[in-house]
Amino acid sequence: MSNQDYYVPHGTYWPIIGSIGVSTLFVGFANQMHGVEWGGSVMGLGMAIIIFMMFGWLGTVVNESVNGMYNKQVDKSFRWGMSWFIFSEVMFFAAFFGALFYARILSVPWLGGADNNMFSGATEALETSKYIWEGFQATWPLINTPGAVGQSGVEFSTGFALVNTWGLPALNTGLLLTSGVTLTYAHHALRAGHRNALIFWMIATIALGAAFLGFQIMEYGHAYHDGLKLTSGIYGSTFYLLTGFHGFHVTIGVIMLTVILYRIQKGHFDSDNHFAFEGVAWYWHFVDVVWLGLFIFVYWL
Amino acid sequence: MSYLVIAIIVVILFSLGSALLGMLRGGAEGSEKMFKSLRLRIGLSVFLFALLMFCGYMGWIEPNVTMLPTQ
Repeated sequence: MSNQDYYVPHGTYWPIIGSIGVSTLFVGFANQMHGVEWGGSVMGLGMAIIIFMMFGWLGTVVNESVNGMYNKQVDKSFRWGMSWFIFSEVMFFAAFFGALFYARILSVPWLGGADNNMFSGATEALETSKYIWEGFQATWPLINTPGAVGQSGVEFSTGFALVNTWGLPALNTGLLLTSGVTLTYAHHALRAGHRNALIFWMIATIALGAAFLGFQIMEYGHAYHDGLKLTSGIYGSTFYLLTGFHGFHVTIGVIMLTVILYRIQKGHFDSDNHFAFEGVAWYWHFVDVVWLGLFIFVYWL
Repeated sequence: MSYLVIAIIVVILFSLGSALLGMLRGGAEGSEKMFKSLRLRIGLSVFLFALLMFCGYMGWIEPNVTMLPTQ
């Protein structure tokens, strides 16, 4: 098998199980959105099927890899696959960062009459707000918007108080950067063949990632309690979309690091062959950079 | 200051990209390149964070959004 140019996989039922899982999840989600009673449970079922599929499918791949069924060509395919996945992730975050920049640098100033547009009639430059709402000011963060009423009839966006930059955001940045350092030590230990050091630094990385998530949940609690919601103007929307998706990625990263730790315990890697570790390490560094970007652009620049 | 921060971010992004190319290439050489690029990127990131915190602490720069409680 291993002297073939291309590894030809055997027939498998995992893709159809994955499709059933995703369909179930979305049917449940759609019904949940419409307030149907069983929506939530069907969503849970769909999620369970997807998790089952991931364990089964990825477990098969790991077993095949450990049993030496893969050759250099397959290794190359994995590397390309990871690269395209990363490309899609970069584009994903680029779109949300783009939305943040567009709103902050272009949209909001335009609404305030910048760049000689229709909101800045020469004689009524100071009355531009009447086109938007009484008392509109083109400021950043633009949080307080009138009339954002939820389905429950409660009006959102009334007053706000945000987290202090010196508090949780700085602490979380420190935690995540430290996890990047510990992961680099783990990477070095793996390449140098220091097994115990590798396991120690991996556990440290996972613990720091989990601590980050815990504090992030706390920060959301504070922000939400103080009135910053997804509906709190363009700032609230972009803030929660960016930090929320980032937190989701950290969650995935922590899960992947845990799986890698398990595989290290099992002795799946050596100092020359550890592509799975490299893929996950890059992903973690990427998530770290995204956070650094968020921290700097949201709080500092 | 902003330009310095942005310049460091650009170098961080480049080293992250370089690590990706190292991973894509694979083998001993690619693995080495990946590790060194990632090490550079984490070093620069920690430096940038420390720089911002220090300048902020000294009062040389102000957080963009002063998010103190208003209630």
